[in-house]
Amino acid sequence: MSQTSAPTLPPLDRKLLGVVARLVPLAEREEWSRAWQAELWHMHHRKGLRHRSALMTMADFSIGLTRDALWLRTESWRRTFTGTAGLCIVSLFGLIVIASLITLVPQAGLRAFGASLGQQFDRSLFAAPLILFVAFASASNRHIERGPQSRGRFWIKQQAFLSGKAVQVLILAFALSVDICQPMRQALPDTTDFFQVFWFVLFSLIGLRWAINDQEQRCRHCLQSLATPARVGRPSHNLLEWNGTELSCKRGHGLLSIPEMETSWCQSSRWIVLEAYRLRVDEDRYLEIG
Amino acid sequence: MNAPRLSHTAALILKAISLGYCYGLDVMEITGLPSGTVYPALRRLERDEFVESKWEPEEQATAKQRPARRYYEVTREGKAAAFAATQRYPLLAHLVPEKRS
Repeated sequence: MSQTSAPTLPPLDRKLLGVVARLVPLAEREEWSRAWQAELWHMHHRKGLRHRSALMTMADFSIGLTRDALWLRTESWRRTFTGTAGLCIVSLFGLIVIASLITLVPQAGLRAFGASLGQQFDRSLFAAPLILFVAFASASNRHIERGPQSRGRFWIKQQAFLSGKAVQVLILAFALSVDICQPMRQALPDTTDFFQVFWFVLFSLIGLRWAINDQEQRCRHCLQSLATPARVGRPSHNLLEWNGTELSCKRGHGLLSIPEMETSWCQSSRWIVLEAYRLRVDEDRYLEIG
Repeated sequence: MNAPRLSHTAALILKAISLGYCYGLDVMEITGLPSGTVYPALRRLERDEFVESKWEPEEQATAKQRPARRYYEVTREGKAAAFAATQRYPLLAHLVPEKRS
């Protein structure tokens, strides 16, 4: 893009642009500044806008350029963090905080909150291993053909993420069960205890089911959500051809699913991790660039 | 394929661009919307590929002794969305007059 000299703007405009430009991601800053310099120049030289006071117009444009810069910043965050493991963990933590605050606010303080939860927490702690066992034992297991890249630290990373999610889901289920039962605790303490355990088991099972499914929908390499499903091949009428669905994450790693008809020698569909192929393609590309 | 649903404001801005109001200030003036609504909406429309932007050629702007502007143009998807929005909001067609060149 060709560059021109910046249009002459009043010092206040230049100062404002300089301050707000810091909100814009670095990669887009230059173009943003150029676009707004042009817009402000046209605003000052526009006849149609003169019916409005200069102060009102400037205030309106200040809001506009600030909101535009903020939009670019939030959009850049959205692109960076959407589908990441970090966002998943932080979101779960946020939900736990909200659910805990709902219980905490009506209580007199932290001490009263802790004392009232003691027994309920013990019961839930006792039930938790059982729920974990049931959830993991009943989860369907994908047969994934692993390449050399899928072992070692990648496996540890996956298990750490799954464990983190499972623990947070259990805490969230506990907090939600307490939230639901809190209003009736004074009137029916015994019945409430039963219902609290019931809700805890129910929420935990639903949550753990989600955690396991979510884990299967993530890249084995970087734990980003897999998306953009692409059909490879086509289903054959004579069963001699094969077809599959390739899913890839934002970083280009992938998973290839090959559906199979259930037979005695092949009882489930195959899931093939594509990182080895991807890495090889990347290496070739680097060699070409080099 | 179902046409995507746009908010009334986004539909109004898209309609204005499709009628020839092709840069931010122009859109603001004809729709009466504040700049804090128009510019982020233009970004969203561009992200969703309803409009695309390009810079005015430098020579053209220099000849008129002003800085080059960023122009917006409605894409094919944008035209379909604008059409669907006009059916959804029938008064939209009367809100923005066509630009006289």
